[in-house]
Amino acid sequence: MTFFSLTLILIALVTFVAGQLFLKRAMEFVSRSSFRNPRFIWLLSAGICSMAISFFLTLGLLQHFDLSYLYPFQGLSIIMITLLAAIVLKEKLTLQLAIGALLISAGVALVSLS
Amino acid sequence: MRDRPSGFFNPWFQLALSVVCVLASELLLKRGASDTANPASAWSWTGISGLASPLVWWAIGLIIISFLSWLYVLRYIPLTIAFPMSRVVDVLVPLGCWIFLGEVISARRWVGIALVIIGLAVLAKPVARFEERL
Repeated sequence: MTFFSLTLILIALVTFVAGQLFLKRAMEFVSRSSFRNPRFIWLLSAGICSMAISFFLTLGLLQHFDLSYLYPFQGLSIIMITLLAAIVLKEKLTLQLAIGALLISAGVALVSLS
Repeated sequence: MRDRPSGFFNPWFQLALSVVCVLASELLLKRGASDTANPASAWSWTGISGLASPLVWWAIGLIIISFLSWLYVLRYIPLTIAFPMSRVVDVLVPLGCWIFLGEVISARRWVGIALVIIGLAVLAKPVARFEERL
């Protein structure tokens, strides 16, 4: 693993997490107003662009590494999204939710390490 | 809060649909990406060459379906609950390989699968509380 590939893995992870947060924000807007709301369109586009960058980076990484090597990093996305949803989106994060998310992250990392 | 739709439009059903589509697309993507791998190309890190594989296009179709149902899920379920639950897919992949392909699951993998299942069980209580509020 080179510094370059690690950087690409991290960028793929961060753009994925950011995309999820944008999409959640966008769908919260739809609940309150219409699909033509410019802010909704902006948030949805930002989410889709972010996820698209992550998708193509992951596809490129898959051509160089095994899935089982890249997948443990998915475990990190659970922790990042749960934490950021609580901080950025002000979702309620109970102790139980945090423990559940940590257990699932650890489980995903163990399953994918081979 | 609004009435929760039932049947096909139930958010939990849509979450399950999204997970199944992701599961199938992951397997197709890996096959498609490996078929078209050309590490010598300067563009190989962008993944663009993967588009030459029909399997990658099938996977993209499934990803679009899972994306739409995921957007629907986000309308109803908080990200702190929906996202960790959606990662059950990471356990379904090795379990699917074990059941359908007869692959062996190592002890470490079984421990990981057990951890994810315990994690989901821990999530069950906040989910039940959230359901009461709906």
